[in-house]
Amino acid sequence: MEILQYSLRKCVAGIPLVVGVTLISFLLIVYFGPDQTYSLLGKNPTAEEIAEVRSQLGYDRPFVARYLEYLREVVTLDFGNSVATDERVSRILARTIPVSVLLALPGFVLGNLLGVGLALLAAYFRGTWIDKLIMAFAAVGMSVSFLIAIIGFQIVLSSSDGLNLFPVRGWDTSTPWQYLRYVTVPTLATVFVALGYNTRFYRAVIVEEMTRDHVRTARAFGVPPARIFYRNILKNSMIPIVTRVVFSIPFIVISGSLLLESYFGIPGVGKVTYDAIVAGDQPVLKAVVALTAVLFVVAQLLTDICYRLVDPRVALR
Amino acid sequence: MSATSEPLLQVRDLSVEFATDTGPVRAVDSISFTVARGETVALVGESGCGKTVTGLALLGLIPQPPGRVASGEILFAGQDLLRLPEPALRKRRGSEISMIFQEPMTALNPVFRIGSQMLDVLMRHQQLTRQQARAAAIEMLAKVGLPAPERRIDEYPHQLSGGMRQRVMIAMALSCGPQLLIADEPTTALDVTTQAQVMEQMVRLQDEFGMALILITHDLGVVAASCQRALVMYAGKIAETAPVATLFSQPRHPYTRGLLASIPRVRERRLERLPVIAGMVPDLRQLPEGCRFADRCPKARDYCRLAQPPLEPIGNAGTEVACYVPE
Amino acid sequence: MSTLQAHGDSLWLKARRKFRADRVGMAALVVVLVYAVAAAGVTLGLWAGDWAEVTGSKWAPASAEHWFGTNIIGQDIFARALYSTRTAFEVGVIVALGATALGALLGAVAGFYSATWVDEIVIWFMGVLDSVPFILLVAAIAYSLEGSPWAMHVAMIATFWITTARLVRGEVIKLKGLEFVEAAHAIGLGELTIIGRHIVPNTFHILLVQATISFVAAIKSEVILSFLGLGVKDGMSWGLMISESTYEVLAGFFNNFLAASVLMFGLVMAFNLFSDALQDALDPRTVTQSP
Repeated sequence: MEILQYSLRKCVAGIPLVVGVTLISFLLIVYFGPDQTYSLLGKNPTAEEIAEVRSQLGYDRPFVARYLEYLREVVTLDFGNSVATDERVSRILARTIPVSVLLALPGFVLGNLLGVGLALLAAYFRGTWIDKLIMAFAAVGMSVSFLIAIIGFQIVLSSSDGLNLFPVRGWDTSTPWQYLRYVTVPTLATVFVALGYNTRFYRAVIVEEMTRDHVRTARAFGVPPARIFYRNILKNSMIPIVTRVVFSIPFIVISGSLLLESYFGIPGVGKVTYDAIVAGDQPVLKAVVALTAVLFVVAQLLTDICYRLVDPRVALR
Repeated sequence: MSATSEPLLQVRDLSVEFATDTGPVRAVDSISFTVARGETVALVGESGCGKTVTGLALLGLIPQPPGRVASGEILFAGQDLLRLPEPALRKRRGSEISMIFQEPMTALNPVFRIGSQMLDVLMRHQQLTRQQARAAAIEMLAKVGLPAPERRIDEYPHQLSGGMRQRVMIAMALSCGPQLLIADEPTTALDVTTQAQVMEQMVRLQDEFGMALILITHDLGVVAASCQRALVMYAGKIAETAPVATLFSQPRHPYTRGLLASIPRVRERRLERLPVIAGMVPDLRQLPEGCRFADRCPKARDYCRLAQPPLEPIGNAGTEVACYVPE
Repeated sequence: MSTLQAHGDSLWLKARRKFRADRVGMAALVVVLVYAVAAAGVTLGLWAGDWAEVTGSKWAPASAEHWFGTNIIGQDIFARALYSTRTAFEVGVIVALGATALGALLGAVAGFYSATWVDEIVIWFMGVLDSVPFILLVAAIAYSLEGSPWAMHVAMIATFWITTARLVRGEVIKLKGLEFVEAAHAIGLGELTIIGRHIVPNTFHILLVQATISFVAAIKSEVILSFLGLGVKDGMSWGLMISESTYEVLAGFFNNFLAASVLMFGLVMAFNLFSDALQDALDPRTVTQSP
């Protein structure tokens, strides 16, 4: 019950964010965006036709009205049809989101599990060669551009000049085996880069916890190191770590996928977004920007609630 | 002075070093002292004199990089704690020697309940069932004056005030009946009223358990009220040790004199200024060859700067002093 | 042996000493400076002026004349990669300065007026900008500015200022409560003077580190943006080179890709290590062993 009330209150607090976010996407894409009139008209339009299309597009209406219209589209998930393919945007999204999730999931899970694991190792053996090696590896992962990692892995694993073990592009989830074939190279690239950032951050969190007073207290009472590591260090570290993991979900699904999908030709939300950017496909852009942002606000909400479940210090009041 | 003649704790030539940007620094330099069973000893000095480091060294809690015990022996009930392997040390921590720290607000694990943390200690060091341990914990919490202990034991640390948390720490420290309690400035972070209450409780429990207490403090008032003997430390070395009454009535070391003189007191005649000891504590990275107090000492002679004065008995009231020109 | 000297070095003095002792950091700094000199040379027209000229045959392998060979049109890859160094620094510096300045300004204002509506607005604004994924924001800005080459810089600054602002805000809130601020008020200094002259300078160590982080982020982002067509428009950059090379790579010609990747990795890695060393040096808690 308490959690429900808390969630409701957090939702209400999230409204200004949603307003702000939809406002930004509205301003950038619709209000200040290029005039769509001429892309919908044929050659030699008459003044009447122009006026009609403009009215249709709402260019003659006041700011607030147009913004509310935009909000309506977001809420009802009805963005009209794609300018490029004339398919309903909502259908496009319904079709492509699952693909993006399937693509991002293994990388996300592995990136975080391995990240925490490596961070634990580095923190436990702080200052030794193990720590330095792991941190050097993390530094490399951070310094390599995601794009370079993608191309690199593709060359080495998939191309005919490399090992030629995996398909170069494409997507097929008809059988688990096929799924594995197509998801491996993208996942490897993702994990390689993500590990860089994750390991460093998680290590910092864990080391921070290791230097807290209550760890010294535990040692002063003869608690063995393994137990201290679990009860004092790990449990306390999990709070910021879990926060970050949940926080990063919307980014992984949308941002990360844009590059991956357009490069490997995988039909997910990212590729659709990329095509929309190139073609200037406004309806699709509107949809993606708005939805991602709202997703983000929701993720923040979930993070807050997650926080409450894990950290007894966070009061619900 | 004590029930049995064999001292409980004998520290000999203990030195602790820390690595810094500019080389190793000795926070504690070759100190020696003893503590008898049931005795209350104060370890007094300014910030940075090495008293906390001494306390930590006794339990083997010096963080290994950047610190290390450079030399010495710590004989506890006959055994040299510095030569014991870590598992053996762990057995003694919390059960035979306990330590409580200055900052109660952060001393407890915030994500576990009080009971969970207390039971962990109790069940680890004593063969008790969960119920027995819980009963023992509640009893201990009551003993330290925590109201409604059966309720508090299931609460989280953030639900208790600083004074209450410190009481919980004391309860935890005493729960296994240790022979020695090291209390590092246990009441400095508390308000004055709570300070008095907590000190009183500690001393009462100490009597009840027949426990020795090393009280690390910079508060001479507490020393006068609660302790039997005092060790005055300065710049990593012991300047003077004496029974408390003698220390206050007949301080021998110029530093001790300076300390006592600088305590603000209600006097008949109003002073223009509070007396202070001129100068500052020496930089531990650039220590002088001779007496470390020489630069600030009103009675310093040439030979004071040549070599460090050894700690030696003086008079017959039980005082030892490290000075070439004691009062 | 006077014990009357005050011994406490300032943060910056200690930091300089610690940094000098950090071999990795010093080496990284040297590498960064080499790149900076290379970039400066390009700007001054000392070298790589011929990056756009066709000076060789298609896909010529590495040789004495063309250190990395030539690309599909016959342009010298090394010259192009060298020219891109200048682009990288240009983007990096502009974005780092812009984001840090904006972040410092808004962070200080929010922190100083914390818990008032001013603070609330800034926080709201940060939350909103944070919510839009970077690439989409760039795309949106590029779309709305109709392909202006500055869209990339604007978008980067608009995103990178946020972390700096948050850190500055936190630090300002902490500093506000310290006594020297009370003292400043007591002697009658105006609010802006206090912020500008007394509080913000105490955040410089944060700003410096954040500037280096923004620099690196800008360079890395440029690669992806240029690849997507949202980045550098005229001139040459590592991102554009990699974008060019995607087809070449499938045909088995790797020089273009390697040149851009290796050079970029070198600068970014060195800068990252430099940034780390800087952070460690400025952190009062870290201790470096004496040589």
